[in-house]
Amino acid sequence: MTDKDITGIVVTHGQLGEELLRTVRLIVGDVHDCYALSGSDLGDEKTIESIREILDAKKVKNAVVFVDYFGGSCGASCVRATRGLAGVKIISGVNLPILLDFVTKQGMMGFDEIVDHLIKRGQESVKIVDI
Amino acid sequence: MVILFRIDDRLIHAQVVIGWGMKLRPDRIILADDQVSAEDWEKELYTSAAEPDFKATVLTLADAVDQINGGVFDSEKIFLLVRGPAEALEMLEMGLETKEINVGGLHFREGRDKITENVWVDDKETGLLRDIVKKGITLEARALPGDERITINSKVV
Repeated sequence: MTDKDITGIVVTHGQLGEELLRTVRLIVGDVHDCYALSGSDLGDEKTIESIREILDAKKVKNAVVFVDYFGGSCGASCVRATRGLAGVKIISGVNLPILLDFVTKQGMMGFDEIVDHLIKRGQESVKIVDI
Repeated sequence: MVILFRIDDRLIHAQVVIGWGMKLRPDRIILADDQVSAEDWEKELYTSAAEPDFKATVLTLADAVDQINGGVFDSEKIFLLVRGPAEALEMLEMGLETKEINVGGLHFREGRDKITENVWVDDKETGLLRDIVKKGITLEARALPGDERITINSKVV
């Protein structure tokens, strides 16, 4: 396992994460090492447990936890689940461009590099479309 | 050099740019379409969908054939895109050469019958695809590179 083997966990309210991943699969086909959890359906304890299960079961060294809204219950669960774990970063404000870039660049970039790239991609994708 | 010739009625969209683009890494996506070529804002709409990952050019069908056959893009890997069987056949009849066309997306609308999940055609389009097959060209239907490759020649003749 290298620092380019990076697991993604999308934690959102409702079914947003599952639908984001379904849309990603519609665009790029099958994805690997990327999971969706509904924090609002699971509740705090179960969300934390599920995140840790994914990290433990796959002996994950590097993971990005994508959360929809920083300041919500899902974000708090993600922090509780991963606080202090080296090699796990939380990115809040997940959107479709971020996830598309994550799944298409998995294995191509090191951990720090892909995290920086995804933040930039997400921020740059929010813009006024003036054509 | 054209590395993929695709029919897709959604033109340049996410499956094209990300699904195929990231796999094939073309140097340029060429959208050959008379309708889009006629409007500057439509050209910008589609070229900006490909950028910044890929260069994109919108050409009329005739200009695309002339420039491809004239060697303008010989040093580049080209992903060539048209909206339907009529446009593909017109380009072939203008002299474009290919052995295979990827029928990536002709989506449901009233009057069309299903060939595959992503390919629906009416009688006229079936006839046009038949004319393409008669030129010895393989029609393979896949929305994405990882999908099962289905040859549909027998379904249109």
